[in-house]
This record gives sequence, structure tokens and C-alpha cells, in this order.
Amino acid sequence: MKKLVAILMAVLMLVGIVACTTKPADKPAEQGKVFNIHAWNEEFKGFFEKYYTVPEGVTVNWIITPSDNGAYQQKLDEALLNQANAAADDKIDMFLAEADYIGKYVESDYTMDISKIGFTNADTMYEYTIKAASDKNGVCKGVSFQCCPAAVIYRKSIAKDVLGTDNPAEVQAAIDSWEKFDAVAAQAKEKGYYMTASFAETFRAFSNNCTMPWVDANDNLQFDPQITKWIEQTDNYIKNGYTLTAGVWDAEKTNEMFADGKTMCFFGPAWYYNFCMTNAMDPEKGCVGDWCIVQGPQAYFWGGTWLLAATGSDNTEMLKDIFETFTKNEDVCTKLVANEGQYPNNTKVAEKFANDPNWGNTMILDGQNDTAVFAELAKNIKWENHTNYDQILNEGLQNKLQEYFNGSVDKDTAMKNFYQLIKETYPNIKLPA
Amino acid sequence: MKHRVSDNTLGKIKLTVLRVIVYAILVFLTFLCLFFFYLMIINATRSNAQLATGFTLLPKGNFFVNLKNAWNDASINIPRGMLNSLIIALSSAVITTYFSALTAYGVHAYNFRGKKLVFTFIMAVMMIPAQVSALGFLQLMNKMHLTNSFIPLIVPGIAAPVVFFYMKQYMESVLPLDVIDAARVDGSNEFRTFNTIVLPMLKPAIAVQMIFSFVSSWNNYFIPALLLDKAEMKTVPIMIAQLRSADYSKFDMGKVYMFILLAILPVLIVYIILSKSIIKGVTAGSVKG
Amino acid sequence: MEKIQTGTAKKLKSVSYAKWGYIFITPFFIAYIIFTLVPQFLTIYNSFFETYRIGLQQVGPNFVGLDNYKALFTPDPDGTILILKYALNTMILWVAGAVPQFVIAMLLALFFTSYRLNIRGQGFFKTVIYMPNLIMAAAFSMLFYTLFSRVGPIQALLEQWGVIDHSFDFFSIRVSVRGMIALMNFLMWFGNTTIVLMAGIMGIDQALFESATIDGANSVQVFFKVTMPLLMPIFVYCLITAMIGGIQMFDVPQVLSKGDGVPNGTTRTLVMYLNGYLKTKNLGMSGAISVIIFIITGVLGGIVYKMLSAQYKDPNRKHRERKGNVI
Repeated sequence: MKKLVAILMAVLMLVGIVACTTKPADKPAEQGKVFNIHAWNEEFKGFFEKYYTVPEGVTVNWIITPSDNGAYQQKLDEALLNQANAAADDKIDMFLAEADYIGKYVESDYTMDISKIGFTNADTMYEYTIKAASDKNGVCKGVSFQCCPAAVIYRKSIAKDVLGTDNPAEVQAAIDSWEKFDAVAAQAKEKGYYMTASFAETFRAFSNNCTMPWVDANDNLQFDPQITKWIEQTDNYIKNGYTLTAGVWDAEKTNEMFADGKTMCFFGPAWYYNFCMTNAMDPEKGCVGDWCIVQGPQAYFWGGTWLLAATGSDNTEMLKDIFETFTKNEDVCTKLVANEGQYPNNTKVAEKFANDPNWGNTMILDGQNDTAVFAELAKNIKWENHTNYDQILNEGLQNKLQEYFNGSVDKDTAMKNFYQLIKETYPNIKLPA
Repeated sequence: MKHRVSDNTLGKIKLTVLRVIVYAILVFLTFLCLFFFYLMIINATRSNAQLATGFTLLPKGNFFVNLKNAWNDASINIPRGMLNSLIIALSSAVITTYFSALTAYGVHAYNFRGKKLVFTFIMAVMMIPAQVSALGFLQLMNKMHLTNSFIPLIVPGIAAPVVFFYMKQYMESVLPLDVIDAARVDGSNEFRTFNTIVLPMLKPAIAVQMIFSFVSSWNNYFIPALLLDKAEMKTVPIMIAQLRSADYSKFDMGKVYMFILLAILPVLIVYIILSKSIIKGVTAGSVKG
Repeated sequence: MEKIQTGTAKKLKSVSYAKWGYIFITPFFIAYIIFTLVPQFLTIYNSFFETYRIGLQQVGPNFVGLDNYKALFTPDPDGTILILKYALNTMILWVAGAVPQFVIAMLLALFFTSYRLNIRGQGFFKTVIYMPNLIMAAAFSMLFYTLFSRVGPIQALLEQWGVIDHSFDFFSIRVSVRGMIALMNFLMWFGNTTIVLMAGIMGIDQALFESATIDGANSVQVFFKVTMPLLMPIFVYCLITAMIGGIQMFDVPQVLSKGDGVPNGTTRTLVMYLNGYLKTKNLGMSGAISVIIFIITGVLGGIVYKMLSAQYKDPNRKHRERKGNVI
């Protein structure tokens, strides 16, 4: 019954869209027959093929370039720069971008104002996802189909041993500030556990709360207090053996998610389960149900994929339609949560799951309603102080400091290597003397 | 007589010892080389979850599941990729070896003004690393509208300085010029002489360079990745990279290893075929000589 | 025309055949100019400009003369000139892999071609030793990485034997990362070299070995007096191409050093350095590095070629004269 209502609603909405597009006084431009989408993996393609009905007579071309060695952005940039000269059917209509480099495209003229194609941002969409896709004048260039509030995912059995409780509310009370978090780390160490399994596990929790951008208006590099704080914390954690020297994506870290792992806390958003926690779900060595999720010391977000409208697209109606489907269509958003483990960019759908007493995560958690935790966190996400340089600077700092934390070089050398990386990549950035 | 016998036995002992050492070295190297293939095959029999648990020397039962998954993957058409790679690698191997031999023969067998300069020039350009001008190459191909085409992956093989150099060196050590003179006396046209007399004499060299060109073209990732983006034109290495950079929830390492295994098979077959022809070519040559 | 008597007609003959020389080399040069020379010219040309991208925004191109080169050779605060450091890394990595590669390959080529030893299962061995070269370098390095990683089997085994403790990390120690890269390069290329050398040895007229043996030469003498001089052109080829490959070393160290030349840039090669500049399409700096790489390769290649071919010039010529006249 519920489904039927949802489908009805979707149909009504589609009718609404059609009605809308036929209404305007200025006649809509001739629509193209080929829709070209650039992407670096198959994730969104899967959702698109399942949940979006392509208008009759239109062929969708997926141009997928792996992001290995920067190939995706290279290829995309080349195509965008050539957009003006390309034949109508070869022009890019839509492309995907990640949080760390979305600014590069949003601030350029190669993306277009989506209000011009008739898309209005709904108030069910998370504010930060709109801001991320908007240029500095507030002109919005695309949408995200997901929202990525991130939290602390902890091992219940270890929490019980360390804190004497595995109840989410009590655990949250024990780690709701960094000072308390550090104190628990010391307790965990005494019991023979690690607090986190990677030196960079907490990085995003700090870096996405920065109060100033990596590079100021005059191209000066600046270290936000949050970044400095992360370095201090990590320094302390490494010295005391609270964490490991593994990177965020290393096997050494993910091995800690097996049942015999010794690590209490992991930091991640909804996509973290599928991307990083397959070891925890291993049928033999995993520990499904031994996990719970709490807000942790500091609210933050991590990652996310945006769909951007390319200037020069001749399929503006379809673009608008896609944007509507993945943000405003409640049926589709519901399915993204229920079937795909996503957290939707739709507050209404998110609230529905958050308030549903029968909804709980048994894929990995103990049946806790994680959507409720994420929904609370999502309210506080801010998109601030981002620059075009973030990808290189965030990843570069982690990589170079890893060598310091694992003892290969001293801190000064690690920082010098970081500056050298900046010099090579962005000669315009002025480094501290 | 007696003395001679003992000399003989001494020689035999020496030979036996030598043989033992040689076989020991060979077995050790074989182990080193095969170990990685073994690992790969084992990994191709494991599921993603099993792979995440670390390492094992024993195969698991996931081989056919992985094979089915890899072969039937909806978005990555591996049979098509293998066909594309095969077309590109084979054509480029043939073109590369043929034209390199032709060029080398031109420089080796004829005296012409600027010959030394030509040789020096090719030697010099051989030194320029290929990756270095990749961006310039890409810009040019864009301008010539040759992206999403196999031409820029095959035709540049005509000018392969390294293969040219090998052919030239090989001719220097094995190609007697009086054979060409003899052909001329018989009234053979220069081009025919090259195709019917010189080429067969170069068989071992051609087989060797065919393998090398085929393998390097088959495994080439960087340039094809920048040039090809239509799904039906992609080559195997692009597909593997695509699989690796896929969403982690679909990041099936078992499938990745199966892809790599599939990617190696054709090269292995071509190699085995050609390695026989090296031996044949040499025997044929020595009979003639 | 072909019937003209030799001697007086020698000059005439070479003139009349010269055009064939040109015809035979023409396809090479046409393809070369279109597909390689133009892009290379662009590369060199770009090295005199400041040109890179911040995001999609193009900076330059502004003509800066030799500034890019100056920047490359400007020492950093503690006096290191990075490009020299990376050149040295590249050389160390190459030599460490190439020495065993050539020694083993030469030995194997001799074993396989020796009638006296009469190695059985040659087909098998020859097939096997070349096999590592068939795997894509990136995929092979991935395998290698998992073997030696902190959670890999080798670490576990060595810990179990008490050789190392758990804090040990193959990838944070210079010698071990360099060693792994050298080992991989050796494994990938010794089969290739063996095959090339073997094809070279098999191309040598067997009668020469026989006559040398009849003359009483032992196998060491045969090797140095007959095999080596005749093999020299092919050997030079192997050495020079291996060197060119070495200078362009990229995939293996890129994967094994996490793309970063760990530890502390000691496994970062010249092309990895160049690759760093490609991310932002810095055609100026990458062009300048390319030119430097080109010069280094040219000089080294020239030296090796001159040195080796001079040393063996005489026997070589003798051989050629015996086998045929120079037209």
C-alpha cells in the first residue's frame, strides 16, 4: 500500500514536471537525443539505471574514466575545455564530482546555473550540499544525491571492557569532547586496546571543521587551529600507542575490524560501512552486531558525490528531471536508503526513517537506528572555508606526516616535504617562511 | 690411454657438477617467477571477503564464481576488451616489427647521403622518454580528431626507434650483405629481396620483437586511458583500472584478480607460440648458413 | 643494369641503390614526425614558459626563458637539489636491478645455448623466466605490495621466527624499499634480456665456435674471444634499452612507494617527479624535466655506445668482412 502511494506520488510528480516544462512562455530549446555523463566509477550509474527512467528516444552515454593517477579529472578537463567546439551530441551534459575538488568546477564557467533550467532547490535538501555546489556568488550548479554526516562507529564489546558500558548514550557521554576522547584513549590503552586504527582516522573530523580556508585571498598557505590540533593529537596518540601508523585505507587498519581486532573507534559516514567495513561483515572472522554508532566528539561530514550540469548541454529538461528524481522524489530517496544503504539528500525521507521504530541497521550494527544518529548530525554540517586546493593539501599533509608518525623522518623534514609538494603542484601558493 | 680415461671422467664429473648448479639456479628462478602466478591464480579462486582476511597458499572454491562475475560483468565487457586489446596489440606488433626491420634494412644495406645522420638521429630520439610527451601527443590527437580511435595506438608503431635499433644491431651481427648481392644478380627487385630473402633471415629477431611489442601494447594503460572513453573501445588495462577505482561496495578483489588472470592469458599464448618460432627460425637459418 | 661489372661500377651501383635507402626509411620518418616529433617539439617549447592550471583556470603561458631550468637547479633550504637527488635515486634503483639482471641473463643465455650442457626442459624454462614480464607492472607491484605489507605473509613469517618485531615496516626503510623495487625490476626484465641475448648467440655462426674449440680454446676463452665480440651489438642494444627503461622507471616505484617515494623521497624517480607536475598540467616544469631526462639519457647512451663499440670494433669488422662485402 505504502509503495503504491509512493509510486502514485512519483507519477504525479513526473506529470507535474512535464506540466511545468510545457508551461513557460519562452519556448524550450530543442532537446538533444544523446545524454553524455562523465563519471569515475559505477556507483551512481547503478542508481541511475535502477531508479531513473530515461525519456524515450534519448541515448545515455556513460563516459567512465577511472580516477587512477588523476586520469578522471584530466579527461574531464580536456572534454570541458573542448565543450564549445564539440558537436551537440558529443557535448557533456552532466558530470560527477567529489567534495574535495567540486569547487574547481563550480567556480568555473563550465558548469551552469541550474535555476536557469528550471530546477529550484527544495528545502528538503541539506543546506551544505547546495552550498558545496554553488559558486561564490551563490549560483547553484548541481545537486548531490546523498548527504554524508559522519559519526563514530565503536565496538560494543571493547567499549564494555573499557568504559563498563556499551550503551550508545553512555558511550557518547564519555567521548563527547576531544579531551574526554583522549582520556578514554588512555583507558583503552591500559586495557590493551587501540582507540583508533589509523593515525589519520580523526583527520576529517578536524579538517571539516576548519574556521579558515587552507589558502587565503592572497594565496598564503595557512594552518587552521583544527589542523594543528589534529597534528598535536596524533603526535600524542602515536607516542602513547593509542593508534596505529596505518593510513585510512590500509589493510592494517581494516584488519582491526575483524572480531579479533583491538580497536575501539572508527570514524565515518553511511558509505563507510560498504566502503571500509567489509572485514567486519566477514562471515567467518567478522563481528556483525558488535557495533554501535554515536555522534562522537565533533560533528563533521566526509565525502559525497555531486551531479553537476555542464554548460552547453542540449538536454536541459532531462538534467532537471534527473536532479528532481534524486533529491525530491521521495520514492527514489526511500529506496536509496532502504536498498542501497545511502543517507539521502532529503530531510523528509531521512526523518521518516529516523522516526521509524522498526527501522534499524542489522547489516553491521546491532539493529540501532543509525539514520536517526546521522539525521541529528546532518543538521550541523557546514560547508565553509573550502578551496580548490583541498584535495592535494588534505591528502598531501596526511601522506607526508605519515612518514613522521611511522618514524622514517623527523617532523621538520615531513613538513618540508609537504611544502615541496605544494610548490610542485601549485607554484602560486605562498608558503610560510 | 688410462690417462685419457681419467681425464674424461674428470670432465664428466665437472660437467655433472656444473649441470647440478645450472639446474639449481633454473629451479630457483622458476620458483621466483611462478610464485607470483601461483599467488594470482590462488587469489582468483578466493572471494572478496576471503581476500580481505589476508593470505593463503591454498586455493578456495570461488574460481568459477569469479570467472562468471568477471566474464558477465554488466558494465565492464571483458570479452570485448580482450578483443580490442588483441586487435590493437596484434596490429601494432606486426606494424612495429615490419617497419622497424624495413627502416633498419634501409640504413644497413644502402649507402646514401645522410645515412650516418639518420642513424644518429634515431639513436638520439630513442632516448626521449615516451611518457614525457604524452600531453603534447594528446593535444595533437584531439586536434586531429583521433580520440576514440585505434589509429593513434597502432600507427605510431611504424616509428619505433628501439625496435629499429635492435633490428639494426641484429643485422649487423647476422645479415651478410653478399646474400643481397646474390639476389640482385638474380634480378630480384629491392623490395622483393627484403620481403622474401631478408625478412626470413630475421625471423628470430622478428619473433623476439613481436613478443615485446605485443606485450607492451597489451599492457599499455597510460595513453589508451587518455584516448579511449567509449565503453565499446576500451582495452583490458583500462577496464582493470576501472574496476579498481570502483565503488568499494562493488570492489570485488576476487574479480580483479580474475580480470588480471584473463588479461595475461592471451599474452601467454602468443608468447608460447612465438617462442617456438624463435627456435625454429634459428635452426632454419643455421641449416642455410 | 644489374649486369654492370664490379669494380668500375662500384660507385655507380651505390648511387643507383641509394634511393631505396630513402624509400625504406620514409615511412618511419613520416610516422615519427607526426606522432612523436611534433609532441616532443611542443614539450621542449613549453619548457620555456610558465604554464599550469589552478583548477580549470589556466595560468600563462608566459615566456620565462630559462627560469624553469633555474628553478629545477635551485637548492632547497638545506642545500639539496631535488632533481639531482631523484636522478641519483633513479640510478641506484636501476643499477641495483640491472647488475643481477645482466649477469643472470648472460649466464642463462649461455646455459641454454650450450650444446655441452644440453639443458633439458629448455622450452619450459624459457617460457617461465619471461612470464613476469607479461603481467602489467601495476598489477605485479600490487601483488608484491600485499606480500610485504604490514599485514602480509612475509612480515608475519619473519615475526614468527623472531627476526623482526611487530613495529618493523618494510616500507619505512630505505634499503628495503629500494631492494624491493630492484628485485621487481630484476624479476620483470631478466627473462627479456635472456631471450634477446639468446637470439643473438643463436644467430652467431656455429662454425666459429667449433673452429675455436678445435683450436683448443676453453669455454672462458671462447666466451671472451668469440661470443662476446660477436654478441656485442646485441649486448649494447640490451644495455642501452635497459638504461632507457631504467631512466623512465615509473610504475613499479610508484606503486611500491605509495606514489610518494617513501621513505623521505628516497625512492622517487625522475619520471615520478615529472608526473607530479602533470597533475596540474604544468607543461613548463614537466617540459624542463623532460629535457633534463633527455640530456642525461643522451649522454649516458652515447658513452655506453661509444665505449663498447670502440672496444670491440676490430673483431666486429673482421666478422663482417668475412661474411660479406660492404656495398
